[in-house]
Amino acid sequence: MVQINFAQKTVNVKIVYYGPGMSGKTTNLEVIHQRAPQGNRGDLTSISTDGDRTLFFDYMPLDLGTVAGMRTAFQLYTVPGQVYYNSTRKLVLQGVDGIIFVADSSASMMNQNLESLRNLEENLNEYGKSLSTLPHVIQFNKRDLPDAMSVEELARAMNPHKAPQFEAIANTGQGVFPTLKALAAGVLRNIMNESGSKGTPAPAPTPAPAVSGHAPARPAQQRPAGFPQQAPAHPMPAYPPQGVAPAAGAGFFQGGPGPMPQGMHPQGGQPGGLQLAPKMQPGLQLAPSGGRPQARPISMGEGSAPARPAPARPRPAPKQQQQQRAPAPAKAAAPEKSSRGRLTPIFIVVGAGAGALLAWVLMSVL
Amino acid sequence: MTREPSSRDENLRKSRLVFYENDVARLNSEIDTFLELSKARCALLVDRDGHLVTRRGEPVRTSEDTISALIAGSFAATREMARLLGENEFAILFHQGSRDSIQLQLIGERTLLATLFDGRTNLGMVRFYAQETAGRISEVLDDIHKQNRSADLKPDFQSSAEDALDKLF
Repeated sequence: MVQINFAQKTVNVKIVYYGPGMSGKTTNLEVIHQRAPQGNRGDLTSISTDGDRTLFFDYMPLDLGTVAGMRTAFQLYTVPGQVYYNSTRKLVLQGVDGIIFVADSSASMMNQNLESLRNLEENLNEYGKSLSTLPHVIQFNKRDLPDAMSVEELARAMNPHKAPQFEAIANTGQGVFPTLKALAAGVLRNIMNESGSKGTPAPAPTPAPAVSGHAPARPAQQRPAGFPQQAPAHPMPAYPPQGVAPAAGAGFFQGGPGPMPQGMHPQGGQPGGLQLAPKMQPGLQLAPSGGRPQARPISMGEGSAPARPAPARPRPAPKQQQQQRAPAPAKAAAPEKSSRGRLTPIFIVVGAGAGALLAWVLMSVL
Repeated sequence: MTREPSSRDENLRKSRLVFYENDVARLNSEIDTFLELSKARCALLVDRDGHLVTRRGEPVRTSEDTISALIAGSFAATREMARLLGENEFAILFHQGSRDSIQLQLIGERTLLATLFDGRTNLGMVRFYAQETAGRISEVLDDIHKQNRSADLKPDFQSSAEDALDKLF
């Protein structure tokens, strides 16, 4: 959920990369981390397994700088794709503002893609959300695989809400940024709609891309010359499986399938597309990836100076506030307990002294 | 004993909180009081989504955004554990280090108070005062929620943010 803090003048947006295992979610984040200016990126933190698979999440803050008087940051997360990590995957979705679904274009991965998409919808439903209303973008990754399916086939099966969709070869960086920008536009429009301000009006539906602020103009059906030839049509189940078609125009994104990114030039690419650029350190790591520059410390507190209050200073103001809270007697009584706590040692000393004096008097009398 | 979340908590969890200066000033005042009494080094108020609301006391050595995300992740994982064990949640978490330790306290349904402390104080002090403070902060958050204010971002916020992203990449 977007956090808007007018005191700190910050807007924080949570974006999650979702998709089946090894579809390239972490690679997307690594590419963004590599190419973002140093001052705008935080550490790429990864909680991963020995096998270099994401165990809980990868996380990276991306600072856009001051935007219309507010320091705006995208908190980018990935989820573990493997089926058996569903409980942790669900946790990362808490408070999500936008989803980038990273699908593997390989025909052999179609079932995993659809399973992951179903799982995403189920997990969102548990938070009272749905892909039909939540800003999301579909990325068809690994377009350089020899058995990559056609975009039309993939879109038919995986994009029932007509969200913007992009081709990508994430390990070369292609398609990574158009995907992120399209989602950002959708999320920002959502924020403006919810905040009641008049943002940039939504672009016209079909055939114009739903998120077209800076989205490339190549229609989804076109493939850049040199991309591997499309695989023949594959019989495949559609999402949603029950054949529940979304209501036309009911989704967050209006109009037809979105654009394909510009600049998707054929580059030999690494066959297989699975060897990701920088490797995380093996083992369960809960620290910034080795060798990566430290994030610019983002001070959200009051200034950067320590704000510890002067010790032993009486605090009349908070006590007044507590006295005014009539409906919470238990809590109002709490500070009394604390001052009593501070007097306890004095009572103990005085009591012990009195006891000793009494004993001495009694012994003297006897 | 499990506790069903109240409808007030449920509303707080689902609705977006918009913080204005006086809201954060009230939260800061409560946290300053807490730090003074508990002698802890630093306290971070973190949204359960992983966003930092405010930080008081000494600055943390690393990115506060990253710490906040990990705090929220840690708490979320523990909550799932609690659910599997038949508990509603574990309201307090404690991680002990050789020099610094951290205590996490759930406040209402959607906010966490993370307290970093060292040998100048002890867990008992931190836990006692954190519990008191949690109650007071919960009331402040409730007040903020009741006011139900909209976020009046400037009309050019969206286009400016898109431009900023274009400049980055």
